[in-house]
Amino acid sequence: MNRVVLIAGILITVALVAILSAGLGKDPQHIDSPLIGKQAPDFALKAVGTGETIDLTQFRGKPLVVNFWATWCRPCYEEHPVLVSNAQMMQGQVQFLGVVFQDKEEKIQQFLNERGTAYPTLVDQAGKTAIAYGVGGVPETFFLNKDGRIVDKFVGPIDSESLQTNIRKAMTQ
Amino acid sequence: MTASLGRILVLLSLLVSTTGAVLGYAAGWKRSADGLKWARRFAFAFALLMIAATFVMEYALITHDFSVSYVAQVGSRDVPLWVTIVSLWSSLEGSILFWGFILGIYIAGATWLTRNEHLDYMAYTIGTWLFCGSFFSFLIAGPASPFHTVAIPPLDGPGPNPLLQNHVLMAIHPPFLYLGYVGMTIPFGFATAALLRGRLGQAFLRPMRAALMLPWIFLTIAIMLGGWWAYEVLGWGGYWAWDPVENASLLPWLTATAALHSALVMERRGSLKGWTVTLVQASFLLTILGTFMTRSGVFNSVHSFTQSSIGPTILVFLAAILIGSVTLLAMRIDSLESDSRFEGPVSREGFFLINNLLFVLFTFTVLIGTVFPLLVEAVKGKQMSVGRPYFDSMVVPIGAALLFILGVGPALPWGRATRDQARRALLPPLIGAAIVAIIGYALGVRAPWTLVTLAFGGYAAQVTLGQMWLPVIQRIRRGDAAGPAIIDSQLRRGRRRFGGYLIHAGAVIVIVSIAVSSTMRTQQEVRLTRGESATVGGYTFVFTGTEQKNEPHRVSTLANFDIFKGGGPGGPGGGTKITHLAPRMNQYTAMRDPLGTPDVYTTLKGDIYLSIMNIEGDAVGVNVILTPMVGWIWWAVLLMGAGGIIALIPGSRAVALQARSETPVLQGDEVGAN
Repeated sequence: MNRVVLIAGILITVALVAILSAGLGKDPQHIDSPLIGKQAPDFALKAVGTGETIDLTQFRGKPLVVNFWATWCRPCYEEHPVLVSNAQMMQGQVQFLGVVFQDKEEKIQQFLNERGTAYPTLVDQAGKTAIAYGVGGVPETFFLNKDGRIVDKFVGPIDSESLQTNIRKAMTQ
Repeated sequence: MTASLGRILVLLSLLVSTTGAVLGYAAGWKRSADGLKWARRFAFAFALLMIAATFVMEYALITHDFSVSYVAQVGSRDVPLWVTIVSLWSSLEGSILFWGFILGIYIAGATWLTRNEHLDYMAYTIGTWLFCGSFFSFLIAGPASPFHTVAIPPLDGPGPNPLLQNHVLMAIHPPFLYLGYVGMTIPFGFATAALLRGRLGQAFLRPMRAALMLPWIFLTIAIMLGGWWAYEVLGWGGYWAWDPVENASLLPWLTATAALHSALVMERRGSLKGWTVTLVQASFLLTILGTFMTRSGVFNSVHSFTQSSIGPTILVFLAAILIGSVTLLAMRIDSLESDSRFEGPVSREGFFLINNLLFVLFTFTVLIGTVFPLLVEAVKGKQMSVGRPYFDSMVVPIGAALLFILGVGPALPWGRATRDQARRALLPPLIGAAIVAIIGYALGVRAPWTLVTLAFGGYAAQVTLGQMWLPVIQRIRRGDAAGPAIIDSQLRRGRRRFGGYLIHAGAVIVIVSIAVSSTMRTQQEVRLTRGESATVGGYTFVFTGTEQKNEPHRVSTLANFDIFKGGGPGGPGGGTKITHLAPRMNQYTAMRDPLGTPDVYTTLKGDIYLSIMNIEGDAVGVNVILTPMVGWIWWAVLLMGAGGIIALIPGSRAVALQARSETPVLQGDEVGAN
């Protein structure tokens, strides 16, 4: 038994496997947003269907889920039922908001008619709100606590588990 | 139906490979000839099942059978047939199936080629191959199954990742990469068998080296194709970004290159056996590490497949193979080593050793740079990335040193060189070094490292060409006719040696071209409305307007440019039009942001590269990049591949024996051995 080879080999093995396993389960596309921990930028946008203007500040006191999406985005189709069912389940405890940008109102309406909805969908006409939130691509979902502070964000189509984890964060932080 | 058939085939391949692996190891342990025979049969059965499963998937893709989960995930009725066919490797599950397919072909081929040879080692070898086969079958059968049945099949699917549809190189690069990656399993099997037996004879070295050479050729070309693809598609005008997954393909290439060299020392002097085996093991392990990097979702990269759950499974396999290999090496490395003495540093084997150390240093440099961000994030909880500056500052000197060794090593004789011999071998190529460096300086090269690289390149070129043609010149001096001398010395008897020097010649051109193209490029962003022109680096770019092209899966906007040399069309000097370029912006249905495709005009001197930044009405913002020598890289890598193939073609035994007894031992007669 060659001890030097054994020890060197085991050291390299342990180091490599430890470092690699530390990276498991992390999302490499996740980039720490400078907005996390900060007050969410305010917006007042028109809701699809009703035409009513909805202001972010009117939901203070309740945790908020703000989901940026669009009808031309395929992953948004995937996450839509997850958002709707969770919004229905948590009605009263958490407020969900959809913000659609770079899109046409009739297309959004058609999408919602076909697939259902459980919360207001707002139209971000010039994309100003998306820019204020630093949205890099849709879908992106922000989680705000009851004081309107952003506690976390999620990039890509969200699954029920991640949604629940982040909502819990928004409720406790 | 199709999904079930696929599942059955994959489950059978899992059964066959697992049984075959156990059988192989048992036959090796008991030295049973019958057991070996059965292990061979299982190897062929595994290959057949994998090939059949892949054909079932291709059938499902081509017939748009959306009841198969993978087809529902990547298929689309809108994309062209070639995109449908290559969709097999466009997403995680299919790519693992493709891996199994290639592994099957490799295992069957290697089992067939060794059917009458190395009986003592082969049972262990086949056992190891099938052990690896069983792991991939397991992945395909379970965690990464592409053959789930979709209960309510969709009418159409999204199609594969648009980046993969953007260029035809995407149909070629992944197969080459897989042929390189997967092929490393074969030498790994040989090396493991040698360790299990506790010896490595000269005869067994031959298949191991050949088995290493073949995937090395594929990997060399694959890395180049990847760079070329990035250059032609991604629009930033570069070909290498030290992206984790690019690094993943480079790592096994580095260790395999080192192993090919140390195997020559082993063949010639009988030494470095344990070291060579270690490098072969490392090359395979690094391909598995590469698989982990692309498929675990741990690294962010253009190549990454979407997040998946197979990361932990691959990591367990990697850890198991690492522990197994390390233990086996520690147990057996001492029994492999020979008693040959090291003759001294100023000898060819001395430089082989330095070459190996540099390649290993290179490997660790890239490996550390790649995994360091993970370490920092694990320890400090902060995100960071290791960028170009680290890699450039580390790799440039290592690359230059390797180029230096590439020149000096082959000039020296085997064994200890006297002072006089060394002087006679090493001084004349300084002329080549001076000539190339002076030409470079005259053409405007000022960066110190580039000038150093040019000088080393000139030195290495002179040595390489001199050594390459030495046997021919000697034969002509002896009175042979030139034609037969060339054919016989280079393509018949001296094939391995000639191939080796072709690879060296290619490598010299590649390193020099990389140095020149990365330090001498001109880049300028210009904004033009229709009819306007701009001049960059002596070329005038006239924007003649945009046009739209509609295809079922994308809408493209092309910006048309006429390019003139020596002034615009009506300008002073009346320039001549040299080409027309039309970079484009493509809007895919399944993607939010448009994807640009640059357009490139390549000449011997350099490339003119146009990439659109944005189009607004009649105005276009375009990035103009002029890069000297970049096209040389692609062709020089193909030269390396050709050299590899020439070296690999087995000579008939009679010719080889004849060559050995007839050819006088020439001073510095080969890169390695005949």
